[in-house]
Amino acid sequence: MDYFLQLVISGIAVGLVYGFIGMGFAMIYRATGVVNFAQGELMMLVSYIAFTLAGTFQFGFWPMLLLTTVASVLIGLLIEVLLIRPMLGQPVFSTVMVTIGLAVILRSVVVLIWGADPMPLNAGLPTEVIRIGPAGLYPAQLYAVGLMAVVLLGLWTFFRYSRIGIAMRATANVQTAALLMGINVKRIFALSWALSAGLAAIAGVLIGVIYDVNPGMWTTGLRSFPAVILGGLDSVFGAALGGILIGVVENLSEGYIGRGMKEIAGFLLILVVLMVRPYGLFGKPEIERV
Amino acid sequence: MRSGNFKQNYRQLLALTDSVPVIVWSCLLVALLAAAPLLLSKYYVSVILLLLITAVGVLGLNLLTGTTGLISLGHSGFLAVGAYTAGIVAGKLGWPMLAAIFAGGVSAAVAGIIVGIPSLRLKGLYLAITTMAFAVIINHLILNGGSLTGGSEGLTVPQPSLFGQALGAERGYYYVVLAFLVVFTFITLNILRSRIGRAFLAIREHDIAAKAMGVNLVRYKLLAFMVSAFYTGIAGGLLAYYTRYLNVDSFSLLISIEALSMLIVGGLGSVAGALLGTAFIVLLNESLGFVFGMIGASFGGSGSTAAYEIKGVIYGLAIVLFLRFEPDGLMGRWRDIKHYWTHWPFRF
Repeated sequence: MDYFLQLVISGIAVGLVYGFIGMGFAMIYRATGVVNFAQGELMMLVSYIAFTLAGTFQFGFWPMLLLTTVASVLIGLLIEVLLIRPMLGQPVFSTVMVTIGLAVILRSVVVLIWGADPMPLNAGLPTEVIRIGPAGLYPAQLYAVGLMAVVLLGLWTFFRYSRIGIAMRATANVQTAALLMGINVKRIFALSWALSAGLAAIAGVLIGVIYDVNPGMWTTGLRSFPAVILGGLDSVFGAALGGILIGVVENLSEGYIGRGMKEIAGFLLILVVLMVRPYGLFGKPEIERV
Repeated sequence: MRSGNFKQNYRQLLALTDSVPVIVWSCLLVALLAAAPLLLSKYYVSVILLLLITAVGVLGLNLLTGTTGLISLGHSGFLAVGAYTAGIVAGKLGWPMLAAIFAGGVSAAVAGIIVGIPSLRLKGLYLAITTMAFAVIINHLILNGGSLTGGSEGLTVPQPSLFGQALGAERGYYYVVLAFLVVFTFITLNILRSRIGRAFLAIREHDIAAKAMGVNLVRYKLLAFMVSAFYTGIAGGLLAYYTRYLNVDSFSLLISIEALSMLIVGGLGSVAGALLGTAFIVLLNESLGFVFGMIGASFGGSGSTAAYEIKGVIYGLAIVLFLRFEPDGLMGRWRDIKHYWTHWPFRF
């Protein structure tokens, strides 16, 4: 039982990161219908930026997170304006391929600037393991829990009460109607990218602090796909939950079935779930007319 | 006076081509490719060989993604299945080369059906990510396949040989691959002008409408997956004999992405576009490798990793810029040029 709990708790800790990345995917998908395949790479880039910031200014955790998020939001906006907006009117697939191209570029750029060796991201956090019941967690992983709670609450309030949040929901619902109601859909798209980049920043800093920054970090983005598919591509909160679920399932299958199962457990899970619910657990089924 | 090229009966409509220049140029291209090993150095022949092998796989992907409109990021998985099957039956069971390559194609086709079944209800990006899941799972299976697949140590493949006659690495094998590509191009063109091809196109345009028109979606979607995977499996088999050493790392997701970018650069859905795109990307890769290899050599060891990364940046930029400025691909540009000449002095 202890073993089980330990696996579940550390699974949740890992899953939170998947959740943050997955929410980034969902944020963009629900507004624009595009999956940003460069989300993992963006996360990696931001993590390296945090590394440089931490190295130059000796920041603590919170100022670093804040500055990195701001930088990331700017990068997200830049990507939207330079690469994504000109693709409006093109098939979705083309835009997706643009993000894939961007992913390839970012991967190389990171190695070109920072080199290929892994480096620790020092945020001045204590590194001794905190014991919660049978499981040991790093302080950064506890921060992840807190951050996730804050972000979820913040996003919920934003989507529920703020004017822009409601406009975003309207755009996600029916784009044409939103346009007719006078919503600036272009701005909503840009905002979605900015928010998504902000989420990537949180994920990047967390991964950097918990493990280290290395040029293979983008694979975490790949591993987060099951999270967002499980939750439903257009459900931000579903992605958060999906991430946690995937983290737990990965850990349990690694612990009980065998080594290496971690890599594919999430993908196996979504294959099964999608057969039953082709739009994920919380995704909106698309009703089509001919 | 006839003011254009009109098809007046079904036979004309369904003919492979009614244009003499197309036939002549195609024959010339094949003849040129056949003469290449006699004219070019060993290095260039091996580049063209890789190009031809890739083209077989890309033709397969084109049938699924370009013609049927089902986006697949899992073709690296099919390629791996084909390559490893060919490698295993040739290396461990001693099958002859052609049989091994076909075994690769057939096993990939079976894998295609397996992937196709859960994909029947999925669309668009859900499908793309599901096929990606398949590729990830395949890689995992190969990595943990023990002595069967060689795991992380890889698998060596015997030398290509035909009817007991060993083929030279470049010259002899080259013709086998060229023959495969020609045959598969013909098969593709014939699929496209048959009922099956029209069903594929109907599914791409709107699958529910196609269903209403009497296209059996289950059957044709699975068929598309199967045929496409078969092509890619064959390409995998050919690749196995080309590299003669298989490793999971060479079947990463990047292969699927590269194949898709070849399709886009060439122009989605057109056979000529698929071939053109393959040639463009493979040659771009090679020439970038060549240029940066030289730069890297002049900077010493550390320069070569930088050169490798710069190559990555340029490769990514090529994809992005193509999509941005030439969304219809090289074939679209070709069509524009053709229109310009035929309709001059009118704009269109």
